Amino acid sequence: MLQVKIDNIYLNSTNSTREIISNTKFELAENKIYTILGKNGSGKSTLIKSITRLLNENNYKISGSVIFNGKNIYDCPQNELLKFRKEKIKYVFQDAVNSFDHLKTLKYYFKLLAKNSDETDELLKYFLLPNSDNLFKMYPYEISGGMSQRVSFVLALLSHPEIIILDEPTSGIDSAIANLFLLKLKEFVKKNKNSSLLVTQDISFAEKISDRIAYLSNGKLSDFRSVDDFLNDPGNPLLEKFLLANNKIEYE
Amino acid sequence: MNNILEINNLNYSVKSHRLLGSESDKIILRDVSLSVNERDIIGITGESGSGKTTLAKLIAGVNVPTSGKVYLKFSENWKNFRTNPVQILFQNNNEILNPYRKVEDIVKESFLIRNNKKDNVEIELEKIFSSIGLDNRIIKRKGFELSGGEQQRAALARILAARPELLILDEPFSAQDVESQLNLLNLLKKINKEFGLTMICVAHNLKILRKLADRIFVMYNGEIVESGKTKEIFETPKNDYTKFLLRCENYDLKYEELKFSQSN
Repeated sequence: MLQVKIDNIYLNSTNSTREIISNTKFELAENKIYTILGKNGSGKSTLIKSITRLLNENNYKISGSVIFNGKNIYDCPQNELLKFRKEKIKYVFQDAVNSFDHLKTLKYYFKLLAKNSDETDELLKYFLLPNSDNLFKMYPYEISGGMSQRVSFVLALLSHPEIIILDEPTSGIDSAIANLFLLKLKEFVKKNKNSSLLVTQDISFAEKISDRIAYLSNGKLSDFRSVDDFLNDPGNPLLEKFLLANNKIEYE
Repeated sequence: MNNILEINNLNYSVKSHRLLGSESDKIILRDVSLSVNERDIIGITGESGSGKTTLAKLIAGVNVPTSGKVYLKFSENWKNFRTNPVQILFQNNNEILNPYRKVEDIVKESFLIRNNKKDNVEIELEKIFSSIGLDNRIIKRKGFELSGGEQQRAALARILAARPELLILDEPFSAQDVESQLNLLNLLKKINKEFGLTMICVAHNLKILRKLADRIFVMYNGEIVESGKTKEIFETPKNDYTKFLLRCENYDLKYEELKFSQSN
């Protein structure tokens, strides 16, 4: 269970300060997949990065609280925070290849996070990746953009977190693999008290994967609603325009 | 019609050096041949890891092929200019823009390198920014203040300021929201018509490629497995992998249906 309450996030630049997120409140309940839709630059990535304080504190000023299993992530000491990031709340970023140190082989990350080698092999096979003998010897610059996204997701799954947060999981991968992502994520949230939060531009993917969807615009997040509700009764002119553009691409 | 690009039997492989163990060749592209007419919009799609980005880089001259040749023919004599007639928009959108410079400076620099003369700069830049949909607020910001999608559009503005003849786009739609996708789609078509710019677009988004491209190349495992007019590829695909890719488009297959190997 994760409760996020963010009063505001400011981005400081050389001579101005800009409010990126304001008055945003949501909860992730167990066994559900939540999706945030929104336009470019609406603050989607900023919002999800703020959950585990990943934003650079020199540039961003945040006020609010994120309560994870009764603990406020914004107040906890650094070592506890690192533990949360390593074990409990995992991310798969939009530019996954930048998540890795280019001077270390992938073995380093698997050794760090994966405890069970059978499980590793199984997941690598599931996501059509090279087997561990070959993959572990590779450097991040030797794998393609789509592969690094899958590796990043596999690593997230291997650390058995409670929450997986994905930023644009379908960008840079073919639809067959996006389909694999979808099945695996659904399987993941069925277990224990797991839940997942994702950000995407792909409305048809969001429609198939989500239990709840919300729309972020002008720094404010709408309520999370069921997929049918959300698509049939947008109730927000900006969202209507957004869905219309999608229909134009999809059907015309 | 003239060919702007011709590729014959292009191969690309990398040597894997390991500290302990033998050297081995990993083949990324195998006997790729294709030709592109002037003013065409070409779509390249396929499996992730099938070598699409590598092919794009070889065409742009970023990498050198192991064997085979890339022939490019241009209408102008590009020796007079200081920019390259082939420009590429890369996929990794957090790495393509200088985080510490203002967008307008980045684009202006590219414009000045291409044109040498200083008059009308503001007007020309204005044109580029408005057609790409970068408003005044965004162009005053620095790279690190932009979102992924905004960075991609800013990088596209910089490329267009260099007025290339062949534009290569690697996943230009992936970080864009649907409204921007639609705008970008229309923009690319407009540039193609107005400037006669030839384009090669690598993308996974088949819905968009269907609307954008005149011809499609489908890649699987380092080879082009099918090519043809967009309509033919989507309506009467012949290759098994193409058929598989089209089936996956709606994200509703079960795990057993998601396996593809060339034997089946």
